[in-house]
Amino acid sequence: MGLPLFSASEDPGPNFVRFAEVSGLLTTPDQTLDAPHATTVVALRYAQGVVMVGDRQATAGYIASRDVRKIEAADAYTALAISGSAARGMEFIRLAQLSFEHYQKMTDADLTLEGKANYLSPIIQRNNLSSPLVVVPLLAGWDPTRREGRIFEYDGAGGCYERRDFATIGSGTPFAESALRLGFRTDLTREEALDLAALAIYEAGDNDPSTGGPDFVRGIFPMVVTIDAAGFAELPTDDVRVRYEAINERRTQAQGVAGGTLR
Amino acid sequence: MSNYFYVSPEQLIKDRAEFAQKGIARGRAIVATIYDVGIVLVAENQSASLNKISEIYDRIAFAGVGKYNEFDRLREAGIRWADSTGYTYSREDVDVRALANYYAQHLGDMFTEGPKPLEVEILVAQLGGTVRPSKLYRIAYEGTIADEPHFAVVGGDADAIRARLAEAEQEVHDLATTLRNAVAALAGTDREIAVPDLEVAVLEDRGGRRTFLRLTDEQVAELLGH
Repeated sequence: MGLPLFSASEDPGPNFVRFAEVSGLLTTPDQTLDAPHATTVVALRYAQGVVMVGDRQATAGYIASRDVRKIEAADAYTALAISGSAARGMEFIRLAQLSFEHYQKMTDADLTLEGKANYLSPIIQRNNLSSPLVVVPLLAGWDPTRREGRIFEYDGAGGCYERRDFATIGSGTPFAESALRLGFRTDLTREEALDLAALAIYEAGDNDPSTGGPDFVRGIFPMVVTIDAAGFAELPTDDVRVRYEAINERRTQAQGVAGGTLR
Repeated sequence: MSNYFYVSPEQLIKDRAEFAQKGIARGRAIVATIYDVGIVLVAENQSASLNKISEIYDRIAFAGVGKYNEFDRLREAGIRWADSTGYTYSREDVDVRALANYYAQHLGDMFTEGPKPLEVEILVAQLGGTVRPSKLYRIAYEGTIADEPHFAVVGGDADAIRARLAEAEQEVHDLATTLRNAVAALAGTDREIAVPDLEVAVLEDRGGRRTFLRLTDEQVAELLGH
């Protein structure tokens, strides 16, 4: 590829996807079925930010992988999670990361969080309406102007909706969402939000065959991240292990049921 | 029939070169210098928002002098080239030498075939790391490309600035000393450049993937000891 120069009227501007289309970098996805799928991520607002927890399993009729990362930092203040086709999802994250940085370098300014959320809509729409390899992402980030964490969820056709409480994606949604609905309050502390989100993924892993719970044998645990005024941060594995050991211990004591209270 | 006058190739090249040189000589110069742990780029720029120095990629910076619209389009093309190369292959495959060659080819084409030569001179810098060495390339309006080992100067009065800088930069210094030398070379003996009129950026490893950082006026003043 030579130097990509454009005349003023044909210039694609700072939009990387439009530029990639013009230059033939992006192609229509293949019509392949039964590819690995990735499942169940929750995002949850608390007083000073957002917590996101995602399971680690990829399923393709069997367990294709036990340590997939479904949440990535799209930039320093934004987390992006994926459900659906693993292949398209990874590509989607890469494209989003590149797009946000591309915009920033081209214009010497950051996209707003809402700008990032809206930018993803047509990319999801194009992928999902042209391919059986559907991707449904979840975007959460810190909004520096409003000084709060915000969550944006999408439907399969690319519609973007802001959630003021919590959001769930993937096949474990009914189970994770139930836990969140029972445990959510608007004044959750960071610790409470972390424990509730971890529990939601525990429930999904317990009930949904495509969602992986904590794997004490292999030492693989759901991925836990926070996004607050300090930016995107992933919890260390040992911290996550302790939280899941606590849930597991309570559940063992209660002989496998939640025991009348949400814990 | 329209009239065609014969112009000898020598005359044509000379006219075009004079035209481009005149445009570039009006622009203030830019200096890029390697210091002990990075590369610093210094421009004299009255505008706080129309930048002459920019980030191209994780370890690559761009600086342009001359007509703003012309070098800004080259800057954008450089970012697009780098981002699409890194997206297609890997981030480590983005090399400044390829970019510098593309710039040189484009400037050369515009000089000989374009409606008018571009009135710009550009500078691309790459911070060395585990994969690639530090590099400074200077590309002139007619496509001449030069690989500078320690520092590079582009823009008006470049020869005098280069001579002053060569005197001060006989070895590699730390950032503060290097910046002082660069600013002194830009200013010359009979004037001083005020801090708000300086645009300064560095390429330096700070633990992350991206190494480009713009320095604020306060940071520049502190480094200069003002």
